[in-house]
Amino acid sequence: MIEVRNLSKHFGNVVAVDGVSFTAPNGQITGLLGPNGAGKTTTIRMIGSLVEIGGGSAAVDGHDVSQDPENTRRVCGILTDARGLYARLTARENIRYYAELHGIDSARSEATIARFTNWLDMAGIIDRRTDGFSQGERMKVAITRALVHEPSTVILDEPTNGLDVMTTRSLRELIKRLKAEGRTVMFSSHIMQEVAALCDEIIIIAKGKVCAQGSTEALLAHSGRSNLEDAFVALAGIDEESLSAVSSNAEKAA
Amino acid sequence: MTNKPVSTIRTILTVSKKELTDHLRDKRTATMIFLLSIAMGPIILMGLGYFIGSIEAKAEKKEIYVSGKQHAPELVNFLQRQDMKLLEPKADFRELIKQGNHDAVMVIPADFSDNFLTGDAKVELVYDDTRQSSSGASVGVLRRVMRAFNAEVSAQRLIARGVAPTLLRPVEVQDTNLGTAAQRAAGLLFIIPWITLIGCVTGCTAMAVDLAAGERERGSLEPLLMTPVGRDALVLGKGVAVSVYSLGIAVLTLIGFALTLKYGNLPAIGSVLSLSAAQYGMFFLMLLTFAPAMAAIQMLLATYGRNFKEGQTYATYAIQLVAILPAVAMFAQLKDATWQLFVPVMAQLMVITRLLRGEPTDLIHYLLPAAVNAAIFVVAMVLIARLLRQEKIIFGRA
Repeated sequence: MIEVRNLSKHFGNVVAVDGVSFTAPNGQITGLLGPNGAGKTTTIRMIGSLVEIGGGSAAVDGHDVSQDPENTRRVCGILTDARGLYARLTARENIRYYAELHGIDSARSEATIARFTNWLDMAGIIDRRTDGFSQGERMKVAITRALVHEPSTVILDEPTNGLDVMTTRSLRELIKRLKAEGRTVMFSSHIMQEVAALCDEIIIIAKGKVCAQGSTEALLAHSGRSNLEDAFVALAGIDEESLSAVSSNAEKAA
Repeated sequence: MTNKPVSTIRTILTVSKKELTDHLRDKRTATMIFLLSIAMGPIILMGLGYFIGSIEAKAEKKEIYVSGKQHAPELVNFLQRQDMKLLEPKADFRELIKQGNHDAVMVIPADFSDNFLTGDAKVELVYDDTRQSSSGASVGVLRRVMRAFNAEVSAQRLIARGVAPTLLRPVEVQDTNLGTAAQRAAGLLFIIPWITLIGCVTGCTAMAVDLAAGERERGSLEPLLMTPVGRDALVLGKGVAVSVYSLGIAVLTLIGFALTLKYGNLPAIGSVLSLSAAQYGMFFLMLLTFAPAMAAIQMLLATYGRNFKEGQTYATYAIQLVAILPAVAMFAQLKDATWQLFVPVMAQLMVITRLLRGEPTDLIHYLLPAAVNAAIFVVAMVLIARLLRQEKIIFGRA
């Protein structure tokens, strides 16, 4: 479970996250929906204790991120857009390295690797060096690496960015599986259909603030629109113009 | 399921094992570095041996060039008694000497015999003292034989007049050179520790930079920092890996030197210099702390770098310092002093040179530099771990 209370962060004069609060419960998929630069990545980086929390608090499974970052990282599996692999190691070795860093014995990590290899169709690449892997292949290895310690909370930052249809589908299946296993799943995206298809709960973020929160149906009802895209634009309180202004501001901040 | 915390030692081992595996798989680079390290000894020592050998050969030369032998039978007779072989110079020897292609020549003028008895005889020595390798070196032999000839003739003439020849030599000069052959050799052979120390630093630069700047450039730093592993353990693991690699290179370089000294046919060097197993052992002990200190400094410099290239640029400064410091000390003709023990590179060179010269070393010669190196390593590791908490460093500076 992720509990975020009044989370804030600014870089210089640029406010990236401005008083964000939400709860992502166990066994549920929570979507962070927002335009580029809305503050999704910064929020996720704060939960992962990569970025120092500027104000407010975040806790995962009761571990406060600021007070107890190591235990937070122990229960979290986070995939950000930094998905670099070690090119001279095989996919399996890349994943096993992280398993060892998490203190997982090889029997358990091999079992996890076997499961993910099956789910994500990696049999052909698992024992190949990752040099020359396609973007999809890299993502599969990176997500297995991020989840090799079987975390109770899974956070994926724009996981489908740059992926082909087949990989996106297998990723969606994986997300559903993780939910079925009772894990907390949160992922960020700016793709409406994806969020609508997967999420139990959607949090709309724009300009560093939470604009609306609820199920797809609730958000549609609340905004009085017939599709999520229109609802998103209405609820985020943004027209096309200010939307691009927000993006460029946040890019500067990052 | 919550996973149990991993001990720091185990994390350090995991990280260093992974880094070493990763870097040794870069076969091209690793092979090049290892081959170059082991080849350094033979290359340097062969070159040095040839250089020293040629100087010694010149000094002990028994061949001299004399032009106009027929004009001075007395002198020629003397030279032959000295076991000198007289060679006829080439016709255009003056031009050749200028070009550095001819040894020095003694020219005996046609009127030598006529002037000899009246004491007005002259010989001309033709050489170019800017050509150390040819005529500049061999003119000394000509001067020496002429001094001997003059001494003999004047002694004979004094005796003929009933005067004791010692009158011409009120003070007799006797040479006693206290420098042993090993000490003379050590002057040049300090190049062995120097090259080894440089190898120790340059060999691991790519790895040090990769572990710091490269990790971020690859996009693997962020996920790594999101594992529960502490920054300190992570950085230490990397530090251990680079240190081991660097030490390996140093050991290979030393093996190259040792094999060349033992089996290489180097009469000029081998006769005066042989290191004992204990001396190699002492040197290795010094490297044991030197390599980690240098690895840590380069990692620290590279961590500031925005990318691999920038990291490498910073790390290069460390290498230059290692290469330049000893040269500065040599040109300034610094005497061994305690303060040098506080300066890495200088300390190691000073102590190993003492070992090579057969001079005594104290415990402080080993403990002080080791303590300085250990301090450098620890401080650098702490600073890197601290840098890895800064967002600017994790995500790269704008």
